[in-house]
This record gives sequence, structure tokens and C-alpha cells, in this order.
Amino acid sequence: MSLPAAHARLAARARLAAHARSSRATAAVPTAAQLSLRRGMSAPASDHPPLETQEDWTQFQLQNAEYESLISFYSDFGSTQKRENSFQPHHPLHRPTPGQSLTVSHLLAAGAHMGHSQSLMNPHFLPYAYGVRAGITVIDLDHTVPLLRRAAQVVRAVTSRGGSVIFVGTRPDLRAVVRKAAERVGERAFHLGEKWFAGTLSNRLEMFNLVRTEVKEQLIPDLVIFLNPIPNLYAIKDCSAHHVPTIALVDSNVDPRVVTYPIPANDESTRTAELVAGILSIAGREGVALRREDLERQAARAKKLQRVREAALSRGQPE
Amino acid sequence: MNVVRNAVHNALRPALRSRPYATYVPPASLKEVGPGQRPWLSSRQPPESPNFYTGRAEYYDSLNDLETSIQHTRAALTSLQLLPLPAFARAAIPPAQHVWQTKQDIIQRMRMTLSTTRYRRLIKLLNQLDQYRRIADVAGVDVLTERIEGVLSVFEKPNKEAILAHGKKKPVAFDDYGRTYTIGRRKTSTARVWTIAVQRPPEEPVEEQNADGQTADEEVLPQMESTVVSAIEYIPPKPVKVTSTNIVINNRPLVEYFPQLADRERVILPFKIAGLVGAYNVFSIVRGGGSTGQSGAISLGIAKALAAHVPDVEPLLQKAKLLRRDPRMVERKKTNRRKARAAVRRPCFHRLRRY
Repeated sequence: MSLPAAHARLAARARLAAHARSSRATAAVPTAAQLSLRRGMSAPASDHPPLETQEDWTQFQLQNAEYESLISFYSDFGSTQKRENSFQPHHPLHRPTPGQSLTVSHLLAAGAHMGHSQSLMNPHFLPYAYGVRAGITVIDLDHTVPLLRRAAQVVRAVTSRGGSVIFVGTRPDLRAVVRKAAERVGERAFHLGEKWFAGTLSNRLEMFNLVRTEVKEQLIPDLVIFLNPIPNLYAIKDCSAHHVPTIALVDSNVDPRVVTYPIPANDESTRTAELVAGILSIAGREGVALRREDLERQAARAKKLQRVREAALSRGQPE
Repeated sequence: MNVVRNAVHNALRPALRSRPYATYVPPASLKEVGPGQRPWLSSRQPPESPNFYTGRAEYYDSLNDLETSIQHTRAALTSLQLLPLPAFARAAIPPAQHVWQTKQDIIQRMRMTLSTTRYRRLIKLLNQLDQYRRIADVAGVDVLTERIEGVLSVFEKPNKEAILAHGKKKPVAFDDYGRTYTIGRRKTSTARVWTIAVQRPPEEPVEEQNADGQTADEEVLPQMESTVVSAIEYIPPKPVKVTSTNIVINNRPLVEYFPQLADRERVILPFKIAGLVGAYNVFSIVRGGGSTGQSGAISLGIAKALAAHVPDVEPLLQKAKLLRRDPRMVERKKTNRRKARAAVRRPCFHRLRRY
């Protein structure tokens, strides 16, 4: 990458540190010239010299680096709450909460307790409803936590025995969530951010162009997780017809009995989906690690057995 | 009916070997299953692509790879202080000039169907990545530019350069020996001209000069008697050695091929205007037309070659109209006329009127 930018940043930091040390008594206020360096400031274009040569661009980069180092230097003297230790919107996706540290507060902050309108509540959802407020069903998070942890146990168990998992989230905002979850689990994990084609399981030979060929791959998954089950009810039916266990985020307008392991929570909140997918994918990753250990142990045992057999054979022959 | 059903069953038999249901053993029956037997462990390998269950694994894999590239590039550019760009900097980025493969090209390459919506989604990501490439290029971050170009080249047309250069003047190419190949046309003649700079022999070391101003070994060249009468001392200029050049046309030297002076002058004129007489050798194959057309065609070819060898000379040749293909062609003969314009002989009326 560009070394001059990094060097400039360090040099700027050193200069600023020296300046601050020398004038500790006087409050060092950034000058108007320094403030005008701010990127994206709504100053008229005539104020900025046009960027024509590569030197102009390098100068532009150095100015930005100087401003950033200025801000980061003075942030040490400001509030203790900084970007590093405060919540950012990308955290639920990239820094998921593990299941062991899940609390009701996490679910509440993610908005998992908000169900649909009272009039739309499915009567079979009643055991998981806490009550009604402002015309919407409030989901009982005291039920959600153990059911979510149970689902995590299922995922861990399936992956530790070498099973395959599919994360399904067919909304645009859920595409990144399911992809990240599948990548986190690693082996034998798939994701579906687009439509689940009818016949994926029941007409799989035609769907995957395997008619009149020998099927070498395992086509039927061992577990399917739906982050938005309502538009995918036909897919849930397909899975149950093929004895595939399903986990789903059931909202208050869904019958929780359609899936094997329901998780009562708000299915319209992206943050809730990220939280749940994060917990399940971390459990899946642990299961994959357990499976790897298991296989290694088996391999070691088989090797040892082989050595013992060879030793026995070599002893047996001369006798 | 049975025959049909049997035939279908036989056809599907290899496929039916795939387990039609997931093997699940309830916990109560687990004790019947020995430690070595684990029916839930599939002996088959899972599909390779994580996008397998979309039904279009290759397409979604490409999409995911592009999204990853965009994320990494964005992080790199942010760390280099090149993102987010203010408006005045965005205006300084060169405009997009991309030539992506068409939907049909990608269908042929991936051997699967592709809808217009999915194609547009792919192009949107490619355009975004191309914008980052232009930012990196204009800021001079070569490593990043090369990496992005490697990713994008998979989706670009192989003849991208030719398509972008369409309609623009092709620059004259030099081959390994420093020769140019140019074409000139005039009337119905076409001249193919190869031009190469004259190879000057290595300069001899300058020897000490005598008091007269002449070197010891140099021959005393004949000096003409000066007719200049002036109070100022007149020092005649030193005679300059002129290297000879070769102009070969249809395997014959210029003098032999063009006996007419006007034709020879026409061929030499570009050198004279450019001040490069004796600097280049010319080999030409010319076909069609007569002497004027052929000499004019060679002149144009030489002028184009000189403009390529010495770009500074181009304005001089432009001014002298030597770089212009003369559009004048022989006009056709028309009916009721003797030639193109010449009228048929008219009777002389004033002579008739006498009678």
C-alpha cells in the first residue's frame, strides 16, 4: 500500500505530540486552517485546488492523514466513550454474541420482543406471547432465551456429527447475514439469500441436473435454519416432507408448530436476525471443531491399531 | 403401462440410490446402534459451493467474490485516505470506460441461464469495483490497481482495447528494428512504405586542430574563390558531409523509377519540409495509377512515417498539406459530353448567320 501516507501520519502525530508537550499550559485549539482540512466539509469547490497531478493527490492524502491524526491525538483528552468501546451498527454481524453470554437485554436491544399486530396473532403462538402493548403482541423473551440455546445445541450436535446446515434468509438485508453465518461455520454449511426454488428437495435431480447420472454428493441437508419463515412456508413443508429438522424465527403471526425448533422472536428486525444467526453459527463452528478433533482421535487410534497389528504379525511370523 | 413404469424405474435407478430421506435415529433407539455404526454420518461428500442450494452456484460464487473484493478495496482505500471522497476530488476522477461482457457471453462461459436482473446485479458490482480502480489509478496506488484489474479482467471483453480505440486514429507502430509501416494513397495508386532511420557510423574521435582551423589528416577540400567584397572579414562555412540515403520503390532506386523531376520532387518534398533530408531510408511497394498518382501516394506514406518518427515535425507537414490524402479522383465521363466537363463541338452560329 502507500507508505507515504503511513509515514505522514506518524510524522504528523510526532509533530503534534511535541507541540502539545511544549505548550501544555495553553489549550491547543485547532486552527481554522486545520479545521478547513476536514474531508467532506461543505466548502465551495473554488476553495479547493483542483487535483490534476499525482502530487496533488498525494498532498490530498497527506492532508486527510494529518486531520485524522489531529483528531485521534486530541481524542485522548476528550470523552472516554470512543468508537472502539461503543456499539456500532456493523457489530451484530461481524462481532456476534456467543450463546453462553446471551441475556434478555441482548434480545431487547435487538428489538426481538416486538411481534405483529394483536389482531394478526396466531392462536398457537399464545404460549410465547407476553402480552399486548400499543396494539402489538409483545413476545416473552424468557421463553426465547432457552429456545434459542436449545436451537444452538441442535446446530452444534448436527455439525459435530458431520451434518450439513443451510442458513436461509430470503430478504435483501438478510443476504449478508446468512452468508456470514455459513462462512463462520465453515465446512458443510450453505447459505441461501435468494428464493428457495420449489422442488429443491422433492425435484432435486432435475433442479441440479443429475438425472441419469450417479449422484456422488449428499443433496439433502441435515438441518435448515430459516430467518424469515413466512415467505418460505412451502420450503418448510418441503423440508418436513423429507424429514429434515428445521429451526426458524417465528413471529406472532406464525404457528410455531410448523418447524421442529421454533425461536419466538421478531422476524422483521435485521439486528435480531444477526443476533440469532450469530449465536447459531458460533455453535456450528464449535461443532465443526469438535468433529475435527473426533476425526483426528479416530485417525490416531486407527494408526495405533495398525502399528499393533503389524507388530503382532512380525512377531507371529518367526514363531 | 407396466412396461413404461419399469422403463422409467430402470432409468431412474442410479438416481434412486440417493437416500430419499434424512436418516434420523430417535434417542430411544440409539442403544441398538453400535459405536461403529452411525447411520446419520453420510458417506457422501457435501456439495462444494456454499451457494449450491441456490441452483446457480457459479453465478452466486462470482457475486460473492466480487462483494468480498469490494469490501477489501474499500477498507484499503479508506486506510489510504482516499475514501470517502469529497465532491471536488470525485470530479477529478477520469470517467468510466468499461467494456463488460454481454449477457450472452457470460451465459456461454458459465454454461447456464442468466436473467437480465441477475446480469444487471453483476454489472452494478463491477461498476462499483471499477470506480475504486479508477480512484486507485489516479492516486497512483499501483499495487491495488493491478489487483483490481486482475479481478475485473475476468468479466471484460477480450478485445476491450480495440473497442475503446474504435474510431480513433491508430498510432503508427514501430517494429523491433525501429521501422514504421505506413500506407499512402493518391488517385488510384496505393503505396506501402517502410521507413527506417539511417544508421550513422560511430563518430571518429575529434583530433587536435592546427592553427589554420583544419585537422591534420583531413583532406583540404577545394575552396571557391570568394567574390564577396566587404570590410568585414568573411569566413567561408565548413563543407558538411552529407550522408546518402536509399529510396527504393518496387525494387528500383528513386531515380530509375521516376524519370520525371516533378515526381522525384514530390517524393522528396516531405523530407525537405521536415528538414530531415538524408535521415531516413525508404522502401516502398506501389501499385495502381500512373506516375503522378504513385509519387503522390509515396509522398503521403513518407509524410505519415516522418510524423511518427519525429512528432515535432507533424505541424510543419500539416501546414504544408502533406499529411492530407488528396481526395481528387478522376471525374467520370457524362452522357452528351465529350469528357467529364468538355462539351460536344457546337456549330458556330455567327459564321452561319452570314449566309
